[in-house]
Amino acid sequence: MVSLADINQLLSKKRNLDSKLIQLREYLGENNLDFCFFSLSKTFSKRFEISNFALLDDYHQYSFFQDKQFGQIDKDTFKKLKKLSNFDLKKKGVISTIFFSKKPVALIYLFSRKKKLDQLNNICQYISFYIESFIREFNLQSKFNDKNNILQGKLLEIESIFKITELLNSHNQNQKDLYQNILIYIISTLNASKGMILIKNTNSGSYDIITSMGIDDDSFQKKIIRDTKGVLRDLKNSKSTIIVDDVKNYTLTNFSQANCLASPIISQKNLHGAIIICDKETRSGYSSFDQLDLRLYDNITKKISLSFDNIVLLETLSESKKSVDNIMSSISTGIIQVNILGEIDYINSSALKVFNFDKDQVVGNHYFMIFEKNNNLISLIEKTEESKEIIFESNFDVTDNKDKKHQINLTISPVFDENENNSGVVLSFEDLSGINKVKSTFKKYVSESIVDELLENETSLELGGSEKEVCVLFADIRGFTALSEKMEASKVVYVLNNYFQSMIDVIFKHNGTLDKIIGDELMVLYGVPLKTNNDPQNAVKSAIEMLFSLDNFNKKMKSEGLPKLEIGIGINFGNVVSGNIGSDQQMNYTVIGDNVNLAARLCSNAKPGEIIISNSVYNFLDNKSKFVKAEPLSVKGKSKPIDNWVYKHKISIKL
Amino acid sequence: MSKILNTEESNGLVIISTQGYLNKDLGEEIQSLANNYIDKGNTKFLINLSQSNIVNSIGASIMIELIETLQEIDGDLSFCELAPIIEKTFNIMGLTKYCKTFKSQSEAIEALG
Repeated sequence: MVSLADINQLLSKKRNLDSKLIQLREYLGENNLDFCFFSLSKTFSKRFEISNFALLDDYHQYSFFQDKQFGQIDKDTFKKLKKLSNFDLKKKGVISTIFFSKKPVALIYLFSRKKKLDQLNNICQYISFYIESFIREFNLQSKFNDKNNILQGKLLEIESIFKITELLNSHNQNQKDLYQNILIYIISTLNASKGMILIKNTNSGSYDIITSMGIDDDSFQKKIIRDTKGVLRDLKNSKSTIIVDDVKNYTLTNFSQANCLASPIISQKNLHGAIIICDKETRSGYSSFDQLDLRLYDNITKKISLSFDNIVLLETLSESKKSVDNIMSSISTGIIQVNILGEIDYINSSALKVFNFDKDQVVGNHYFMIFEKNNNLISLIEKTEESKEIIFESNFDVTDNKDKKHQINLTISPVFDENENNSGVVLSFEDLSGINKVKSTFKKYVSESIVDELLENETSLELGGSEKEVCVLFADIRGFTALSEKMEASKVVYVLNNYFQSMIDVIFKHNGTLDKIIGDELMVLYGVPLKTNNDPQNAVKSAIEMLFSLDNFNKKMKSEGLPKLEIGIGINFGNVVSGNIGSDQQMNYTVIGDNVNLAARLCSNAKPGEIIISNSVYNFLDNKSKFVKAEPLSVKGKSKPIDNWVYKHKISIKL
Repeated sequence: MSKILNTEESNGLVIISTQGYLNKDLGEEIQSLANNYIDKGNTKFLINLSQSNIVNSIGASIMIELIETLQEIDGDLSFCELAPIIEKTFNIMGLTKYCKTFKSQSEAIEALG
């Protein structure tokens, strides 16, 4: 039993017309109805992919098909239909022409021996209406899809333009990454299959492929790409986006299988680069880019060309910033830049180290917060902000983030912009912690004035095994061995420590360098590490003052019930060899040579309270009157007796 | 270069991982591979796009074709680890109306398994 409801349900199940008709034919056949569908147009058949039903391509010679036919087939139509198809038509069948846009596009035929004509007509009419409405709906849907596809394409294009604008405005990527991302978006937006961006090398004048996609870069590696020929020449001349159709004629495009779009990157009216994309993809393979593609491509690439100078400028700025950062990081001076709002704009690694700061905590924050443990520093910054004058503070105490104290030499300078408006302050400082440590260590060996001079003028320090003119002083306690045997060890140490302290104070006062203490003997040098014009004079002044200082020392010892000390001093001036002397495991900086030995010999010949100097020392003295020429001394290692002068000390105070 | 990196099956779910530009070539490669699995009776597919950073409209339209094919056999297609630009393109092309997307492959396997 055929029902229109069943037919409706059946037809709705299938998506395309051919499948619907096959399903319908099967259903009607099962109900003893002959059904046939005749397509009257090749276009119609193709559009609906009708392959299982007859195409009456020659129907147009029969004018009656141009009118709507409905009902039982007439004799004339029957004969003509018979001629056009091989289908077994029956004279009592019914037909219905299907129209679309006022043109006949198909014909359906229905026959049954068991159905009445009215029943057949009803079924035929229903099927005819269904197919006509399906065709209309399909056509509308197709138009809608086409429009929708166009809109989707436009949306993607707009999205891509937004994305490229975003990329061009972003400052956090390097030039190569930027170009790579731009190329990816252009290629995907225009459905290209491959592409490249070339940038001119300003040194060589040739072009480098800075980024590419889908292209074998190696094939270009040994090629010098210039704008004197090929695509680049065309771009240089036209300065506009072009479609390259004769791709095989150009080196840069001969890998392309369809055509290419090429656009120039222009800076200051000159060609500085090019963007080339190739082979538009479609579902059926590669196709050529057309004028619409060219319009979109031109639109996008013009943005890039306009931004080229900014891209280069940003890259240059970024490199300059890196370079400044590297310089600032390598210097030992701490630098902190505070802007007009009081926020810290910059801090270098030395400054971070002194204050024990974490860079992220500091940059962008107000100095009030950052220096909350250093109110004195805050006051100085405020003072500079108000007075707009440079402030310098030496040995300035600051507290770091871990409450450790530091001493710094601090300079706070106001900063002015090009219009001479104040734009903040810059703090620069030297951490004195290291210097102070060096000072305290050196102070045990040389006078503070020498340390200061060494630290201020490093070039004056000449270390190494070299010959130098030096004045050597030896001072030895007379009879100390016998004396110490009678005393307790602790008292011996006490006496010696006090004695050395008194003597060393005098030595340093006259810029002497304590070379070594050998038992109860002092060896002192004048002229190393820093040479002066009056080293022998300083040595003699030291020696005389040492004897006076010894008087005071002895007075103190007496008051403590301890024995007095007596010393003899010998001084010589001449060339010695200075340097690190010893073994790999232990070495000392000292001086050696005949002149050192002579000083020691003079010392050993000096009686208590005497200073014996050699001829070389005597000749340097401004005031020679205190010294009396003595008998020449025969000393070991010298063939001739040595001329010498003696100073005899008179005890200056009542002991 | 664009290619299929890996194909695996997990509880009947076919997972296809890709690399590079999802264009016509890669799209057709995925479609062909999926058709082979469909012929064997598989109906559920997951495409991992973590290594694909870009898609064009041709690649997306091939994915729509694959979704249509799967809809006819009551199957489905899902995607995971989409780059933001791919997700945006899929949204614009209406593809995400007919398929599920997941942030990670493990999340997808848990939901689809």
